[in-house]
Amino acid sequence: MATTEERIRKLVDENLEIEGRPLGRELDLNSSLRDAGVPSADFVAFTKVVAEEFNLTFSPEDCVKFQSLGDLVAHLDSRG
Amino acid sequence: MAMIAPTSPESLSPVPGLWWSPFTTRAGVQVMHVALSPDPAREAEAYGWLDETEREAWRKYLPQPRRQFTLCRAALRAILCEQFGCRNDHLSFGAARHGKPFAMAGRARLPLNFNVSHSGGHGLIALSAGGRLGVDVEERIPRRYLNELIEAVMGPEEQTELAALREPAKLHLFYRLWTLKEALIKALGTGFSTDPSGFQAPPAMRRGGMDGVFSFPHLPSVAWRLADIGDERFAAALGYELESP
Repeated sequence: MATTEERIRKLVDENLEIEGRPLGRELDLNSSLRDAGVPSADFVAFTKVVAEEFNLTFSPEDCVKFQSLGDLVAHLDSRG
Repeated sequence: MAMIAPTSPESLSPVPGLWWSPFTTRAGVQVMHVALSPDPAREAEAYGWLDETEREAWRKYLPQPRRQFTLCRAALRAILCEQFGCRNDHLSFGAARHGKPFAMAGRARLPLNFNVSHSGGHGLIALSAGGRLGVDVEERIPRRYLNELIEAVMGPEEQTELAALREPAKLHLFYRLWTLKEALIKALGTGFSTDPSGFQAPPAMRRGGMDGVFSFPHLPSVAWRLADIGDERFAAALGYELESP
């Protein structure tokens, strides 16, 4: 079964691009999506994809609170 | 709190060699354009104008957003120093609850609202001594997941209108609507606690109108003037609060 990190990385690979290019492996888990330059519309859409994937209520503002993708993974794992 | 009197926004004028210049003015709101194309010498100069807090933020960015942040923040510093007659090393920035920044000169909050947006090679800085304001700029880059983006961020009527279009008109309208919505969210100052799919741009503007008046469904007593300020290079919008009658 895929880990939370693997699932998040897959969502990033499948859904995010910067200046028309897939974000891919350019982003490490210590980076925030905003610091990486992910456009705001994509940021909102990604938040909704994460909420759907993990079956939870999750606003873009919640996602802003996490300093990095690693923080997001840790939060999702902490839910058990 | 001590207040500092601004000089007129009209005192701003393009200076050869600088990377920012006047773009447009709407009802007392001045919008400056910031050129963000790669230029190592320019970026090094701009970096020298940043304070330690900004340099800490600088280190977190990947190269492109780092360049955008540095050139826009340095331009904003220069504009504020000129308008308020203050020294760059006296300027600092704070952030409100949802992250919207404000400027301080020493311990005095500057009596000016501003908002910054950047996309690709273009930045816009909107400034006003009046009410709240927001600006957004987006280069019209083709998107792999355009339909998914539309579904995530547009309201039902906006989705229907976009679904009726084919490329490139669909992409053009998407960016137009998105900049209008994001300018409004930024003007409101609540970040993405306001779901962009939960409100729609004024119908007349969705059909091509360049200006309109808008109120959020959850905040009908506050009116905002909305303007499409895009050009052939990028989509852009400006939203600012109308004075109460």
